[in-house]
Amino acid sequence: MQLEYFLLLAAALFCIGIYGLVTSRNVIRVLMSIELMLNAVNLNLMAFANYLDPATATGQVFAVFVISIAAAEAAVGLAIVLSIYRNRDTVDMEQFNLLKW
Amino acid sequence: MITETSWLIPLYPLIGALLTIPWSPGLIRRTGPRPAGYINIATTLMAFIHSLLAFHALWNRHSSPQFFFAPWLQVADLNLTIPLEVSAITLGAVILITGLNLLAQVYAIGYLEMDWGWGRFFAFMALFEAGMCALVLCNSLFFAYVLLEILTLGTYLLVGFWFNQSLVVTGARDAFLTKRVGDLILLMAVLAIYPLAHTWDFRELAAWAQTAEVEPTAMALIALGLVAGPMSKCAQFPLHLWLDEAMEGPLPSTILRNGVVVATGAWILVKLEPVLALSPVATTGAIVIGAVTALGATLIAIAQIDAKRVLSYLSSAYMGLVFIAVGAHQPEAALLLVLTYALAMAALVMGTGSIILSVITQDLTQMGGLGSRRPITGLTILVGTFGLVALPPLGGFWALLQLMTGLWTDHYGGLVVIVLAVNGLTAFSLARLFGLMFAGTPNQMTTRAPEPIWLMVMPMMVMVGLTLHLPLLLQTLGLLPAWAELNGDLALALTWVSLSGFGIGALLYIGRWGDRPDAIVPLRLRNLLAFDFYTPRLYRLSVVLGVDSLSRIADWLDRYLVDGLVNLVGVASLVSGEALKYNNSGRFQFYMLTISLCVVAIALFMTWQYLPGL
Repeated sequence: MQLEYFLLLAAALFCIGIYGLVTSRNVIRVLMSIELMLNAVNLNLMAFANYLDPATATGQVFAVFVISIAAAEAAVGLAIVLSIYRNRDTVDMEQFNLLKW
Repeated sequence: MITETSWLIPLYPLIGALLTIPWSPGLIRRTGPRPAGYINIATTLMAFIHSLLAFHALWNRHSSPQFFFAPWLQVADLNLTIPLEVSAITLGAVILITGLNLLAQVYAIGYLEMDWGWGRFFAFMALFEAGMCALVLCNSLFFAYVLLEILTLGTYLLVGFWFNQSLVVTGARDAFLTKRVGDLILLMAVLAIYPLAHTWDFRELAAWAQTAEVEPTAMALIALGLVAGPMSKCAQFPLHLWLDEAMEGPLPSTILRNGVVVATGAWILVKLEPVLALSPVATTGAIVIGAVTALGATLIAIAQIDAKRVLSYLSSAYMGLVFIAVGAHQPEAALLLVLTYALAMAALVMGTGSIILSVITQDLTQMGGLGSRRPITGLTILVGTFGLVALPPLGGFWALLQLMTGLWTDHYGGLVVIVLAVNGLTAFSLARLFGLMFAGTPNQMTTRAPEPIWLMVMPMMVMVGLTLHLPLLLQTLGLLPAWAELNGDLALALTWVSLSGFGIGALLYIGRWGDRPDAIVPLRLRNLLAFDFYTPRLYRLSVVLGVDSLSRIADWLDRYLVDGLVNLVGVASLVSGEALKYNNSGRFQFYMLTISLCVVAIALFMTWQYLPGL
């Protein structure tokens, strides 16, 4: 019964991340929510690796990759945020609705 | 030899019609239109001579009718062969048609002196002549229908000759549509009789009718359809308005139309008499239509003030008598009546045209006092009058007497009275026409009215001669009914009725006995007759209103319902596109929300069956 608790916790974390992703007005907080979601995924991977595949630990390798990719993504994300901020002088998501219909 | 080639006769005028085309004002601009007329007179003369020679040859040899067959079309098991009948009677009809057309064309050269449209006019006249010659020669109901339709088109074109006049345009429209309606009903009957008789050949139809056992209702419907075609052609009630309005056309064509064109319907009717005899309903119908038309039209003719319209209603009336004759199974009397009527009516129309050309007005109330200065025209109209009504020894007397004798022996007492009344009323209306034109004092319009040029006088005189010689001609040909077969009392009655009708008319209008003879009749009745029983209003309130509102409704349904439905699809997709584009809110987070919700929805959908307790 241990696995389900991990999975439930990861799902809750993921949902919190989605909630933050959808509702935040600050771009930085959006990136932070994405990190939260990625970490929820990592938690999942670790739980599965531990309980279902303890011999080969493929999930842990996956998690390592996810962490490194997430770092790169956060870096690029912050770069994008900076370049937007230079042009528009704001990090408010509500102001970034130029590409509508 | 000359008889065998009789089928060529319709081709002469047809060639003439084609040859006039170059003299339309748009093509040959320098010479004027006159050669068109001369060419057509030449071709008509050739057709006339050919038919005369053919008739002569046939008559001398006492040969029986000859039949020729020209293949036209063979599709599957339907074999459309054009049967031609060359007999004394068809050649006689061809002589009448080509002869009348020749006279009308010579007359037209005088009458249309000041007109530029000769090319068109003579082409149409020639088309008529060709169509009618082909009609009398062809011996098939189907091809008779084809030719009748061509003649309907010809009427439309000829009545609409001076198409810059608004009344001409409406008149031509009514003439075409009214005749077309009859033709279409005729087509229904023509198509319906084929499965029964398996032939459209008039001879074979007659032979079939001898022994046919057909369901009475079906036969009644078919026969009524066969009557409906001639009913519109012959301008019978209630399809008679077109002839009144066709008087807007050029007068020389009126000679032809009143003389023979309206008789084309009668010709078909006579040919179909054996078939119609199968159904007592149809013959009774023909008699009723004929009687109502004959009485109504003569009464209307009395109340007209337009000289041409007096004659047009008398045309309807005499065609009504032909209907009575066919309904009472007397095709010989009908044919004799058509012949005598055609000559007398042509003389009357020619005389009236001669007056109209110099007096300009057609209003009888503005004419008068022409007797001393227009003797030739007066003579023409008088002879035409006496030839039309039953006055011995002229032609109309014999035709009407034969009809009356037949009616009397077949115990149609009421019809005898009707024919007598029609005869008397016709005599009265023609006496009125003559009196208003020639008697009394000259009016402003008639103070200077010379006789027309010889081109118009000559055909008039030939017409007078023909009308006067008709009894002799008939006697020579042995067509005059034998005196022994005729009823002497009826002959006396007919003569007395004609004389008294003409006498009362003469007293009132030639002797100018009384100030205003028409004042005797109540104004309401006078207007009813003068306005043709308000037929235009009747049409407009019944058929025209019905068709018009139906077409308006259909147009509305098409415009708004059918088109609207299709447009609705387009508009709906446009609107939905316009509305749905707001989903592209331009907000990253909204897209993210959409993705999340979709993923949740898909996940729910896929795991639905595993979810416990739902």
